[in-house]
Amino acid sequence: MKGFKPSAPFLLLLPAIIVLAAVVVVPLILSLYSSFTPFRLTKPETFFVFIGLRNYVSILANADFWWAFGRTVLLLTIALNLEMLLGLGLAMLVEKATRGQRLLRTLMMFPMMFSPILVGFQFKFMFNDNIGLVNNALQSLGLTQDAIPWLIEGHLAFIAISIAEIWSSTAIFAILILAGLLAMPKEPIEAARVDGCTPWQTFRYVTWPFVMPFAYIAMTIRSLDVARAYDIVKIMTDGGPAGRTELLWTLVARTAYSDGRMGMANAMAYFSILLSIAFTVYFFNKLAAARTQIGAEW
Amino acid sequence: MDENSSARLKRRLLRIVYCIGLFLAMLTICLPGLWIVLSSLRPTVEIMAKPPIWIPQDISFDAYVAMFSGIGKGGIPVIEYFRNSLIISVTSTVIAVAIGMAGGYAFARYRFRGKSGVFLGLMLTRTVPGIALSLPLFFLYVRLGIIDTHFGLILAYVALNVPFTIWLIDGFFRQVPKDLAEAAQIDGCTRWQAFWQVEFPLAGPGIASAAIFAFLTCWNEFALASQLTRSVSAKTLPVGLLDYTAEFTIDWRGMCALAVVMIIPALTLTFIVQKHLVGGLTSGAVKG
Repeated sequence: MKGFKPSAPFLLLLPAIIVLAAVVVVPLILSLYSSFTPFRLTKPETFFVFIGLRNYVSILANADFWWAFGRTVLLLTIALNLEMLLGLGLAMLVEKATRGQRLLRTLMMFPMMFSPILVGFQFKFMFNDNIGLVNNALQSLGLTQDAIPWLIEGHLAFIAISIAEIWSSTAIFAILILAGLLAMPKEPIEAARVDGCTPWQTFRYVTWPFVMPFAYIAMTIRSLDVARAYDIVKIMTDGGPAGRTELLWTLVARTAYSDGRMGMANAMAYFSILLSIAFTVYFFNKLAAARTQIGAEW
Repeated sequence: MDENSSARLKRRLLRIVYCIGLFLAMLTICLPGLWIVLSSLRPTVEIMAKPPIWIPQDISFDAYVAMFSGIGKGGIPVIEYFRNSLIISVTSTVIAVAIGMAGGYAFARYRFRGKSGVFLGLMLTRTVPGIALSLPLFFLYVRLGIIDTHFGLILAYVALNVPFTIWLIDGFFRQVPKDLAEAAQIDGCTRWQAFWQVEFPLAGPGIASAAIFAFLTCWNEFALASQLTRSVSAKTLPVGLLDYTAEFTIDWRGMCALAVVMIIPALTLTFIVQKHLVGGLTSGAVKG
C-alpha cells in the first residue's frame, strides 16, 4: 500500500494468472501453431511442416464441418431459449407456492447435480428403443405399437439430445431467476396493480426488468459451459447415426483421436473456441446493460 | 350464480390447475433420476422384460455388491476409479480455492487498472471447450510424460476451476463490509491479520460452497478426463461409466448402480451449498 499500489492485487492474482497461462494460454498458442501444420499423431515429424491456412481452407470447404457447426448453433439456440422460458416458468410456479417452498427449491436443483455424462447415460437408457421408459410408457398407454427408434433416427436423436440438454440445464435458470424474484421489492408490483395494470402488464413492465439481470447471470454461467453438450452427445449417440447428431465438439474429438489428424482438429477447435467466446462476451455485455438499467445500487 | 361465488369458483379452479402444473413439473424433474435408482435395484431380466414390468417384483442390492467386490465380478474396477476421482477432485479443489481466494480478494477489495478486462479475460479462459483444450494438453502431456497421471489431471482441473472460484469468492468477499477489516486494522491488526481473523471467518461459508462447487466440477468432468487418462491408474468415475458402453451389450443395471454411486456425493454436497451458491453468483454479478 505504500507507494506501489498496483502491486498488491497483481501479486494476489499472480497464481491464478500463472496457472491459467500454463494450462490454458500456452497450450492454446501451441494448438494455434499446430493448426497451421498437417500434424498427425502417428507422424511426429509433420509437426514442423508449415502449410499456412490449408487446414482452414479445407475445413471451410468441408460440408460435414458446416453441418456440425450449424447443428451446434441450432442446438444451443433451441436449448438456451427453451431453458430460459422453462426456467422462468418453473421459478414463477415455485415462487407462487405458499407451503413447502424450501422442499420445492431443493427438488428443483436436482438436475444440477447430475454430471452431463450421467444425464447422457440416463436419457440413453430412457430413450432406448427396446427397453426405454419412454417407449414402454407409450406402448403401455396404447399410444403406439411400434418401438420408436429415438436414438437411431437422425431427427428423433436430435430431439432426444435437446431434451436431455434442456432437462439438465433448466435448473440453473430456474434457481437464479427465483433468486431474482425473491429479492425483488414488492411495492412496485402493488403500485402497478393499484394503477390498473393487467397481470401481463405487471409481469412485462415490472417483474421482467427486475429479473432480467438474473436471467443474464444464468445465461453467462451457461455460456461458460456450453461445450458440456459434448458429454451428453458422446454417450447418447456418439455423433451417430451416420453423423446425423455430430456436433462441433464430437467432430473435433473424432478428427483428433480417432483419425489422429491433430492439425486439422486444432483448426476446427478454434472455431468452437470462437463460438464459445462469442456467446460469453455477448451475455457479459447483456448482463452489464441490464445491470445499469435497474441501477447499480440494487 | 352471483358474482361472488363465480369468482370463488374460478379461483379454486385456477388453484387446481396450478397444483397440477407444479406437480407435473416436479415429476419431470425427478422421474429420470428415480428411474435410475429403481433400475439399479432390479434384476436385469426385469429391466429387459417385454412387455414392461411396471411394478418391481424383486428388489435387491446385488448390483452394488457385485460392483464393489472387485475386478471380474463387477466387470469394471470401480474402487480404483472411485479412488482416482476422490484424489484428483480433492487435491485440485484445495489448490483452486487457495488461488481463488487470493484472486477473489484482489477483485473484491482493490481497485486497479483494467479490472473488468482482467476479470473478463479470466472468465474467457473458462469458456474454452474441454475437448478443444484437450488437444494441445494431450500433446504436451505426452511430451512431459504426465499423461495418464493424477498430477496431469489435477493441473488441468485447477485451471478449469480457478476462474469460476474467483467469481464466486469475489462475490462473497463483497458481502463482507469493508469497514470491519478497516476497524480491525485501526485496532492494530495488520492487513494480513485482519483478513484471517475478520474477513475470512465471515466469508467462510461462502468459500466452502465455492470449494464444493469446484469439487463437483472435477467430480463430474468428462471431456478432458476421457482424453488425458488411459488406464485404471488415473481414470475417473465419469470415464469409467463409459466402460459399460464400450462392450457390445450394455449392462444397464450395473451402469445404473455406478450412476447412483456417482450421484450420491454430488447430491449430498449440493444440498449443503445450495443457499450460498445462489447468493455468491448473484451478488458478485449483480452488484458488480
